[in-house]
Amino acid sequence: MTTAAISAVPVRTGGWRSRLRRRRPVLNVVLALIAIFWLVPSIGLLVVSLRPESAFTQSGWWTVLTAPSRLTIQNYTTLFSQGLRPGGLLDSLITSAVITVPTTILVTSLSSLAAYSLVFGRWRGRDAVFLVVVALMVVPVQMALLPVASLYKLFGSATGFNPFGTVVGVVIFHVAFGLPFGIFLMRNFYNGIPRDLLEAGRIDGAGEWKLFRRVVLPLGVPAAASLAIFQFIWVWNDLLVALIFLGGNAHAPLTVFLFDQVRELASNYWIVSTGGIISIIVPLIVFFSFQRYFVRGMLAGAVK
Amino acid sequence: MARVVLDDLTKRYVAGTVAVDKLNLDIADGEFVCLVGPSGCGKTTALRMIAGLEEISDGEVRINDRVVNNLQPRDRDIAMVFQSYALYPHMTVYDNMAFGLQLRKTPKEQIDKAVHEAARILDLERFLERRPGALSGGQRQRVALGRAIVREPAAFLMDEPLSNLDAKLRVQTRAEIARLHQRLTATMIYVTHDQVEAMTMGDRIAVINEGVLQQVGTPRELYEAPQNRFVAGFIGSPSMNFVAMTLDQKGGEPQLSGDGATVKLDDAQAAALRDRAGGPIMLGVRPEHLDVGSPDGPGLRLTATVDVIEFLGNDELIHAQSGDRDIVAIVDTDVNLKVGEEVVLRAEPRRLHMFDPDSGLALART
Amino acid sequence: MLSGRTFGLRRPSTARAVAVPVPAPDTPLGAAPLAMAKQPGGGGGWRSHTGSLLFILPAAIFLGAIVVYPLVATLVRSLFDNNNGSSFVGLGNYKEIFATDDILIGLRNNVIWVIVFPFTVTFLGLVFAVLTERIRWATAFKTVVFMPIVFSLTASALIWRAVFDLDPHVGMVNAAVQTVSDVFNPPGLYPIDKSAGQALSNLASTNVAATASATLQSTSTVSSGGVAKLGLVGISPFTLQMLNAQKVQVPSAASGGVVGVVWRDFSPTHVGVKGTVFPDEDGLPGLHVSLLRSDGSSAATATTGLNGAFHFDNVGQGQFHVQVDSSNFGSGFTGISFLGTQSITPTASLSRTAQALLSVPLVDIAMIIAMLWIWAGFAMVAIGAGLASLNREVLEAAHMDGATEWQTLRRVTIPMLLPVLIVVFVTMLINVLKIFDIILNMPPGTSQQDASTLALLIYNTGFTANPATGLASALCVLLFILVIPAMLLNLRRIRGT
Repeated sequence: MTTAAISAVPVRTGGWRSRLRRRRPVLNVVLALIAIFWLVPSIGLLVVSLRPESAFTQSGWWTVLTAPSRLTIQNYTTLFSQGLRPGGLLDSLITSAVITVPTTILVTSLSSLAAYSLVFGRWRGRDAVFLVVVALMVVPVQMALLPVASLYKLFGSATGFNPFGTVVGVVIFHVAFGLPFGIFLMRNFYNGIPRDLLEAGRIDGAGEWKLFRRVVLPLGVPAAASLAIFQFIWVWNDLLVALIFLGGNAHAPLTVFLFDQVRELASNYWIVSTGGIISIIVPLIVFFSFQRYFVRGMLAGAVK
Repeated sequence: MARVVLDDLTKRYVAGTVAVDKLNLDIADGEFVCLVGPSGCGKTTALRMIAGLEEISDGEVRINDRVVNNLQPRDRDIAMVFQSYALYPHMTVYDNMAFGLQLRKTPKEQIDKAVHEAARILDLERFLERRPGALSGGQRQRVALGRAIVREPAAFLMDEPLSNLDAKLRVQTRAEIARLHQRLTATMIYVTHDQVEAMTMGDRIAVINEGVLQQVGTPRELYEAPQNRFVAGFIGSPSMNFVAMTLDQKGGEPQLSGDGATVKLDDAQAAALRDRAGGPIMLGVRPEHLDVGSPDGPGLRLTATVDVIEFLGNDELIHAQSGDRDIVAIVDTDVNLKVGEEVVLRAEPRRLHMFDPDSGLALART
Repeated sequence: MLSGRTFGLRRPSTARAVAVPVPAPDTPLGAAPLAMAKQPGGGGGWRSHTGSLLFILPAAIFLGAIVVYPLVATLVRSLFDNNNGSSFVGLGNYKEIFATDDILIGLRNNVIWVIVFPFTVTFLGLVFAVLTERIRWATAFKTVVFMPIVFSLTASALIWRAVFDLDPHVGMVNAAVQTVSDVFNPPGLYPIDKSAGQALSNLASTNVAATASATLQSTSTVSSGGVAKLGLVGISPFTLQMLNAQKVQVPSAASGGVVGVVWRDFSPTHVGVKGTVFPDEDGLPGLHVSLLRSDGSSAATATTGLNGAFHFDNVGQGQFHVQVDSSNFGSGFTGISFLGTQSITPTASLSRTAQALLSVPLVDIAMIIAMLWIWAGFAMVAIGAGLASLNREVLEAAHMDGATEWQTLRRVTIPMLLPVLIVVFVTMLINVLKIFDIILNMPPGTSQQDASTLALLIYNTGFTANPATGLASALCVLLFILVIPAMLLNLRRIRGT
């Protein structure tokens, strides 16, 4: 058992830790260099987005170190001033949110429900079903793209609403593919809840739904938070599904927007870099705010 | 085999806390010494300093007159048995025991001989090819001991080795360790928080509280003559009863009086307490020394109301209320007490301990 | 609290569980094995709790419709033709996979990724995890290295596309290489842009001609006291501005020496007139010129001034040519095409199919580096968590046994970490088999085909113009087959074995 955060620290300190962390100047320097190297590519993108478009091919972005006054947020203001027109940056930001938020809510709630059933329910085939869920975690998204598209078309001809090409279609797809991992994570966590708690409730006459809502769900908040945050970032950053189901649509999420810009890279670098930075900022904020939860979610056997 | 001397051994942390405060202990060659005390009292820290796992802030550790403060653990000629056994999970029992020797590039036949010898002593020979995961708790403990034996150290250091075992195994392994000690005549320094373990296993016991050594002595010395209130309350189970009393005169004779209790002092005690007239005294008496008896005679006389009676077979454990305090007594079953009954509990003068309420020190008795 | 008559030994309290218990959080990288699910939690076996069966229904519907059904459907579809799926072709699509060079290239790339990436990223994660244990600012380091995971793969792809860009003004790597290269092979002030089709001869205008040794030599000769005028064209005004060129000024002859001027033979007022030095034409500064004797050896060197003038003193007898040295026109370092298709294995001479199978294009290496940058943080944190959960006392026992830090690491720590390492490895393996976003966004159009992987092939075959659905489905099945071993490994782990 461990505090699965980036800053995991063992319980016993004193002798062991101080022995490990004695003065090692060389190591510190080497790791500092590595850390700088790791940051440089991202900083590069940031700086490029802060330079006027013309400066792009004239000189490398690193020359800005000697001339910091040349930085400008002109690129950002241009993009944002374009407002909410379809296909623009702001519009794709909103589209990303419209896709990601419902998906996250649905995945978290449905996974919790299913996990409850798999842990506290007693019905035949329960364990087999869980094994199936685990197996489904590795199914590649590509396998489902075409069949689901035709499924949508079928649905459309039957009910008049074809989810293909709509945000709803994307959300449904993401929810389905987020469920295996979500159920896996929640089930593991629920397993650690002592059965006695529910037995006490059952003796009091509480039904399953009440037990779920009043006992298990509140206790499961840490795991649900981890799942939500992990799922949020995952769906926010998805490209393939959005490309297939919304490609060509007037409203596209950020990743598709960026992808379109990258294809015309030479002249569009100011858009690419600025859009890139903006697409990074939302996950970055979520990450830093909920670091512990995100890492815990990732470490729970992330197999995606 | 070795003599281990702790000379003003001190451990100070950066934050300012003092975990071990000037610990002085002289452990003779072949002696089995227990360091005992409540959790966090510094006994494990002291042991780790002897082992070399913890840096020494002040003072010295000498093994066979050699100062080992700055030596690596492997150069100190000691072996340690950890609380969690700390076996290498991916190695066989054989490799677990051989690891230290292998690192030293000892020739294979020598290693083989040493490991098999240790395995024989501990009855582990049929487990040599197994991994720790396939062993029971008791067996793992023996492997940990075996690993230590193979090193033929000057002293064995043991850090609460029985804590992770269930009650029955604990009793069994306790005897095994005692037997091992007799067989190897090795110096053993044993840390535990369980005073029963300490009392049953140690040649001498060092009681430690909050980093400070309270008393060192044989089990009998600690039981019969605790030097302060802490030792008195720590040793013995159920623990000693403490009654707050005052020294005053009654009819020309000094006596102790408290709420529902009086003590008729004998001459030796009266002499010892002479300068404390009118002052408070903390009286201590062990439950097993309390008896239901007649109201007259020297010693302690305590009236109490029986609260709970626990049947132990030959004896009964009585919880009684006297004044505003709880008293515990162990009396013979034949006495046949009833709950709610008022009884007079007696104790002989020689079974009484007296302590200064502020310092906790035992007041001298001849 | 107990009062009244209570005989016998005290029984442990049977009161209800109080306070909120802290459930064991999901163990890192593992699942509670199935065995744990069967806790004897009281209640008796006669009561089966089917009420919660409904709870799993919504999830089951989603999974059934969107994951399970398509899985089977794709399998079936792969056995049919490419058009409308009406005629059964059996394994025909699969045969086609192995017969098409382009697809083989994709498979080869998958193989490269699988061989190189999981091992490297796990190794890197292990190294980082072990090293960060030994510094005080581990959290900061880990955050920095972990951060790229939250970027979309698309954003990361374009970050690294810029890093590896061909143009040293854009690509950091090429810029670094250029800095080193310039020391050994510095560019001249007037570099020739070969990629734009420029040749040295294009620069010659008046009294000069390009030579085989990449210099410009005066066509006429001069002798002591003479004046040489060399005219060049094709020099950009920008360069002139950068070099602070002045208007040309022909120096007066000096006795005993040779003087002259190298100028830009272009006058805005006399367009098209070559050969004459007009006052509004610019001199060409900074050119290294040499005075060549008739046998070709160099008698003296000089550099043109801001107005293009140069002078050689005390030249002695004979006829001389004036040479504008080749160093002036060197382009220096022009950039390595990291995102290009140059193979690092020597396959140039092999047949097409063999080439397809055995080349390792540079772009693959570049993309692997980008992926390492993204995922090393995950490996590091996962392995770090495993490290932190190791029983400290075992490591201390090793210390007592006399093991050095390195020996402990090698013989105790890493073997104990093996389960974690395997999980990380398998996770990364699955990631890499499905890799798509990076392949789509990082290589430039020209390299796309050589860089493609299965996932990209599926996309191209099945989702672009003229989709070949049967083939795409077959590729999907192939991808699925490749991830099955990982699935089995996971299942084994869950089962608690």
